[in-house]
Amino acid sequence: MPSIKINIKVVAAESLYKRDVFRLPDPFAVLTVNGGQTHSTTAAKKTLNPYWNELFSFTATEDSILVIQVFDQKKFKKKDQGFLGVVNVRLGDVIDMSAATNEETVTRDLKKSNDNLVVSGKLIFVISHGRRANGTVPAAATPRPVAAPVAENLQVPSESSATSPGDRQYSSFEDRQGRLPPGWERRTDNFGRTYYVDHNSRTTAWKRPVMDQSEAERGQARTSNTEAERRQHLGRTLPGESSTNTPASPASENVTLQSSGTGATPVVPAAAAALASSGSTTAGLGELPPGWEQRFTPEGRPYFVDHNTRTTTWVDPRRQQYIRTYGPNTTVQQQPVSQLGPLPSGWEMRLTNTARVYFVDHNTKTTTWDDPRLPSSLDQNVPQYKRDFRRKVIYFRSQPALRILPGQCHIKVRRNHIFEDSYQEIMRQTPEDLKKRLMIKFDGEEGLDYGGVSREYFFLLSHDMFNPFYCLFEYSSHDNYTLQINTNSGINPEHLNYFKFIGRVVGLGVFHRRFLDAFFVGALYKMMLHKKVVLQDMEGVDSEFYRSLKWILDNDITDVLDLTFSADDERFGEVLTVDLKAGGRDIEVTEENKREYVELITEWKISRRVDEQFRAFMDGFNELIPEELVNVFDERELELLIGGLAEIDVEDWKKHTDYRGYQETDQVIQWFWQCIKDWDSEQKARLLQFTTGTSRIPVNGFKDLQGSDGPRRFTIEKAGEPGQLPKSHTCFNRVDLPPYTDYETMKQKLTLAVEETVGFGQE
Amino acid sequence: MSLKRINKELSDLGRDPPSSCSAGPVGDDLYHWQASIMGPPDSPYAGGVFFLSIHFPTDYPFKPPKIAFTTKIYHPNINSNGNICLDILKDQWSPALTISKVLLSICSLLTDANPDDPLVPEIAHIYKQDRSKYEATAKEWTKKYAV
Repeated sequence: MPSIKINIKVVAAESLYKRDVFRLPDPFAVLTVNGGQTHSTTAAKKTLNPYWNELFSFTATEDSILVIQVFDQKKFKKKDQGFLGVVNVRLGDVIDMSAATNEETVTRDLKKSNDNLVVSGKLIFVISHGRRANGTVPAAATPRPVAAPVAENLQVPSESSATSPGDRQYSSFEDRQGRLPPGWERRTDNFGRTYYVDHNSRTTAWKRPVMDQSEAERGQARTSNTEAERRQHLGRTLPGESSTNTPASPASENVTLQSSGTGATPVVPAAAAALASSGSTTAGLGELPPGWEQRFTPEGRPYFVDHNTRTTTWVDPRRQQYIRTYGPNTTVQQQPVSQLGPLPSGWEMRLTNTARVYFVDHNTKTTTWDDPRLPSSLDQNVPQYKRDFRRKVIYFRSQPALRILPGQCHIKVRRNHIFEDSYQEIMRQTPEDLKKRLMIKFDGEEGLDYGGVSREYFFLLSHDMFNPFYCLFEYSSHDNYTLQINTNSGINPEHLNYFKFIGRVVGLGVFHRRFLDAFFVGALYKMMLHKKVVLQDMEGVDSEFYRSLKWILDNDITDVLDLTFSADDERFGEVLTVDLKAGGRDIEVTEENKREYVELITEWKISRRVDEQFRAFMDGFNELIPEELVNVFDERELELLIGGLAEIDVEDWKKHTDYRGYQETDQVIQWFWQCIKDWDSEQKARLLQFTTGTSRIPVNGFKDLQGSDGPRRFTIEKAGEPGQLPKSHTCFNRVDLPPYTDYETMKQKLTLAVEETVGFGQE
Repeated sequence: MSLKRINKELSDLGRDPPSSCSAGPVGDDLYHWQASIMGPPDSPYAGGVFFLSIHFPTDYPFKPPKIAFTTKIYHPNINSNGNICLDILKDQWSPALTISKVLLSICSLLTDANPDDPLVPEIAHIYKQDRSKYEATAKEWTKKYAV
């Protein structure tokens, strides 16, 4: 067999192994034929998907062995450190060299070498000999792509011959509209959605980048988007908390509304909030003892709250040494309450308008006169349970465990390495250190942290650490912005440390009253509150899966489905069978036991599969926020506590709403918007959570609202009887509104539906 | 779960094959099938044989299979990538559906296009405005690519 000249074009590699969490390799390829002739490509910069497209010539026979190795140039000098994989081929196996001219495109998986370092990904190269050097690889002709060829031209009709039906295969650097801009890559997530990775800026986008836009223009578009997100983030508040950065204090405006709305409210929330946060006291008497706070009844009478023992008294503690009575309260505790310890988890103490103490159990949404720490007696005339987020926040903040400790906690980070630096800074400190006053400093920037810097810090950090790029979190299939734990996060061997870190950051934000610019799927908030996830929660995680499970419940499955109590778990292409209960793979699902199956598979799919990651996350979170304190909130309130409450523009909302069976001019619709306008921000947010699954509004307003199948505007559909409650379909951002006949009924039904924590109210 | 079900469908197809279509795995990978559909006699696709690729998701049958034409076809609900706009492959999917039923639905989509919910608006427009022109083009494409 004579030696002939062959050309080898190394086109690209895909999905190389990521050895460092924070750095991308600079990969280059080394080609060797028969161990003698050697060439190497230039190094591609910072990518796991290098594109070289470089051509080399060799002299070879069909028995020649071609070896292509990929290395990281940054680490090449260290022995074996930079190795990213190898492909070995015998030339005769991939190309017929006896033909006069021939060309083959070869895609091979990268293999390990002797040292067993993990590698991944594929290598794409073209072997040719004879006259033509290149051709079939679409990218080969033009190393610098200029114009996007029209799709129709690329469709080669003869490809679909009867014998070999094959799709036109695009590499991940191109699609029907032609090549992506340099540094961009097209990928598909595990829900089959296409997204785009910009390796230049390490960001991802749902929208395809446009070729005729320069890198600078793209950067500008990115900046202005971030700016809009930042504005939205800065505008978020919580009721009952005065925000240092927002110009108008929402608390002061709502005082009248709040106290007239709730008959049983003795506390003037704004004043209480101001006191709680400032610790100020009435003049003349000096400071209140630590943990004490002065409040006023609606009648203006002062009383005192001892947050240490969670008791209240009319008696000013600064005079207590002289007056030894318990005040005019009719239910005087016979023993000092201070010895009873804190209230059980999820409980809150409140006062009626006659200043009588009663207790609220947020777990069961009931109220009682009886102190849960004492033996119970019969309850009579206890005020009705009323969910009051503002009050909960004030109560939550007043807890000793959430007090800022003396001293300062310094965190210094580089703006461009915020995730990496924050990880080092936050993980090296103890939880106690992290409870001291936060002093954030960006490297090389002047400015003392009086709130603004740390606000910016949490904004930037939440963008970076939840970036799907790091494989720790991913976007749910429900929309394109709510986050869930990535089941494949284990690709990063350190992932549990990172989940713990993220948990700490979320806790840190709540502790120091800073909001994250991140929103999770509803199920995750429930899990944080140790609530059981139910089928309804699946709607926000995976709507297709949800519909199938619902179908199982609604139909007779006998002889239709062939299921056992097991699930298939795909891990990087390998399918594993997981038992949903002991011996589950041998237990048939029948019409009789299908409810149990749906319950178990829901639990597995949402929580069991990511149990390890979630526990690490909670370990970090609970180091700052004790479990029993956060339980006073429900999952929707927790979302607001972490992410803050945005001011919602009802006009924009209304403008981008669709109607089915109704018209905008219909009386019920007018009532609907009237009712929403009258609501406060939290109630509006709750309606959004009820209908869309999250309180987050797209940065550019309601016109960009996403559903499980792409853009979905907010929709009101005429459905149900006037006696029923409104229902929601979060997959479609839709509320089913029965044609109510008067405003009061509509308002009452809508309020009840929205107050219910789960999407479907009882009927 | 999915593998058991896919195997069952495969043996059902062998035992009771549907008329005018066929389907089966491409190689060793049971999650990847190829199917063929004969153009229905009362349609402009008559005489053609159309190939489709089928990918089963791991969550099958809780999620619909991904089906696309690999033979070029002129149809308002099928685009140049072979993607099919069919409700049962999207939000109307139910775990009771099988590949056999889906293929039959695709057959009937070839007979009765749905121009009111088009994937290719230009073809839908011609379909509605000038039916004979649509039929002529569809026949021509069938002859060119599917015979």
